[in-house]
Amino acid sequence: MIAVRGLVKRHGALEVLKGLSFEVQKGEVAAVIGPSGGGKSTFLRCLNGLEGFEGGEVRVGDNVLTPATHPRRDAALLQRVRRQVGFVFQQFNLFPHLTVLENVTESPVQVLGLARDEAEARGRALLDRVGLGEKLAHLPRQLSGGQQQRVAIARTLAMQPEAILFDEPTSALDPVMTGEVLAVIADLARGGQTMVVVTHAMGFARGVATTVHVFADGHDVEHGPPDRVLGDPQHAVTKGFLRETGKG
Amino acid sequence: MPYTSSLMRARVGALALLLAGSLGRADTLSEVRQRGELVWGADQEGGGPYIYPREDDPSQVTGFEVELAARLAEYLKVKPRFFQGPWDKMPELLRTAKVDIVLNGYEWSEARAETMEGTLPYYVYGLQLLARKDDAGLASWKDLESPRAGRLRRVGVLTGTAAESYLREHLAERIEIVTYDGNTDSMREVETGKLDATLQDTPIATFYGPSFPRLRKVEAPVGRGYYVVYARKGDRALVSALNEALILMIRNGELERLYRRYDLWDDAQAELKTLAESARFYGYAQAVGAAVTEGRLPTEEEVRRQVRPRGWTVVRRYGLTLLQSAGVTVILSVLSFPLAITAGLLIAVGRMYGPGWLRPLLAIYVETLRGTPVMLQLYFIFFFLPEVGINVPAFWTAILGLAVNYSAYESEIYRAGLQAIPIGQMEAALSLGMSRALALRRIIVPQAVRIVIPPVVNDFIALFKDTSVCSVVTLVELTKRFSVLSQSTQATIELMLLTAALYMLMSYPLSVVAGRLEARMAREGA
Repeated sequence: MIAVRGLVKRHGALEVLKGLSFEVQKGEVAAVIGPSGGGKSTFLRCLNGLEGFEGGEVRVGDNVLTPATHPRRDAALLQRVRRQVGFVFQQFNLFPHLTVLENVTESPVQVLGLARDEAEARGRALLDRVGLGEKLAHLPRQLSGGQQQRVAIARTLAMQPEAILFDEPTSALDPVMTGEVLAVIADLARGGQTMVVVTHAMGFARGVATTVHVFADGHDVEHGPPDRVLGDPQHAVTKGFLRETGKG
Repeated sequence: MPYTSSLMRARVGALALLLAGSLGRADTLSEVRQRGELVWGADQEGGGPYIYPREDDPSQVTGFEVELAARLAEYLKVKPRFFQGPWDKMPELLRTAKVDIVLNGYEWSEARAETMEGTLPYYVYGLQLLARKDDAGLASWKDLESPRAGRLRRVGVLTGTAAESYLREHLAERIEIVTYDGNTDSMREVETGKLDATLQDTPIATFYGPSFPRLRKVEAPVGRGYYVVYARKGDRALVSALNEALILMIRNGELERLYRRYDLWDDAQAELKTLAESARFYGYAQAVGAAVTEGRLPTEEEVRRQVRPRGWTVVRRYGLTLLQSAGVTVILSVLSFPLAITAGLLIAVGRMYGPGWLRPLLAIYVETLRGTPVMLQLYFIFFFLPEVGINVPAFWTAILGLAVNYSAYESEIYRAGLQAIPIGQMEAALSLGMSRALALRRIIVPQAVRIVIPPVVNDFIALFKDTSVCSVVTLVELTKRFSVLSQSTQATIELMLLTAALYMLMSYPLSVVAGRLEARMAREGA
């Protein structure tokens, strides 16, 4: 579904990703963990073209992003990629001038060309699924952070992407709200949704992920089934990281 | 499409036309005859006795030049059409063919004869020195030269007139010359004591004498000069036709009758008859020899003069006219502002999200327009663009000028508004598969608009008052109407209060709206 080969990303002189390779199969839930500054978020943003990169390639289905991909000239290609992989942000980024339901229906109507009532039916069902069926007419600022993130997930699901990228979806939330959001993501995993989740929640990675990847210093230093990677880490970085986070 | 082709022509021919200095036009006389209309330029703010608002209907004009223009047109067998414009811009209006002739107390001078074609004189004026009756220390021109209490005497004149040149030539270092734009301003300043004296053309001194009872004439008029009608350089056929008409009017007494009605006929006018006589040697033998019958002189009733109105009379008499001009102000504002905010938004979006080559161009546009006065921009559109073949009528010049000027300010407001939208909003929209354009239209701009509403409404109030500069392109809006009426009636205080009240009435509701919107934004925390 998503295949990354030799990805190099620089911020000026600083090399953030140093030839990183990575793969996600359809139906797989990949959790990406690792110390801060390991390039996890940057990596995720390269996958749907929010950031360009200096080396390697990103393949999403039949579409290939390369260092030559231009944000304006290749807008059509990027749009195809983004239709296939949704993105959920750490800061939710809901549209503050639209109601909860409008946030969810905006793109299906404007981009997919769905009829409004069809989009609204789809939106209602998704908001029900994330437990916000009662808040359709609310504005984002009237919701808690956890509720906002669940709306953001519903908004992404409304586009029916083949995969969803989560960029530390619970880092801005308190433990209770974190629980609400992780429950939604776990629910999606059970439904077979392909996902890449950058996270610090070790319990979640252990319980929900099919594969755990450890990113450090611009490389995917170790990956495998959660039990193996978290229970019997091979790499020094993984061992150190797990010690610091209290073994999840 | 006509504009496109004009622009093409502009690029090719701009320089050549500029060098030529005037529009290559066919003979104006035949054009006037074909059109059936003689368009004559004057400024009613100049006031009496030349041209000023009629007392019974202030939206119409009267004055000896209005009547003279009517008679001249009649001799040419066409109708007169008065074209209002600022007095000092008359040569520009003539050059850009917005008028056929200028007939507005323009003195003959060598410099003007270089650029325009003058007729025979229609009036012989002098320069009358006026001082306060109670000022015993100023009884002669000689007194003017001695400083009082250690400072030079202050003498007021109308900007750019023969009176100003006369003072500069004869008394340059010995007095202080203060210039004014309205011809009665300096008379008022003498009455109030800010000036020691004023030098006025004899018609003005005579006409406004009754309105300024505390002034008196000092010695006889000096610096005899001639008012002539000006046509475009090279329009000799038109000038000949006007000269013939003037000769006939001098010979049959029409001119004398007209001037007596305005109390303008004095001994100096005898020279007109001599000039008309001698014109037989310059190709006007036919007009000089034609048989004419002299008409009667005007009656007492006809020479009755207007007195300065006061108080509620002013409100009753001129309120409606001011209100109509306020309408012009409103129309200018409400037509130009939507254009300004639309253009401003496009410019701001272009500067922030447009292609690389476009951004510096838009930056230059904004900086140029913000860095130059709107008056110059209007002037450019009205008086320069005709040189390159683009003729925009006064009304649309004003709309366009205001819209273009304010678009620069609006774009900066929008830019600030757009910058206030977090980058995550665009990223979220793109991640949902939206194109950049769609994201801007549906997500970014609607949020920015909410932020900028209060400053935009404030700018609307500013534009609303800036419409007053449109008088440079010959429009008569509220401020210009105030100037015109106050010059002709001297009821300055009443008219000023009335005008200010009208502006307040129109802008205060906008302030209230702006305040409410601001309060709502604060409450919503957007």
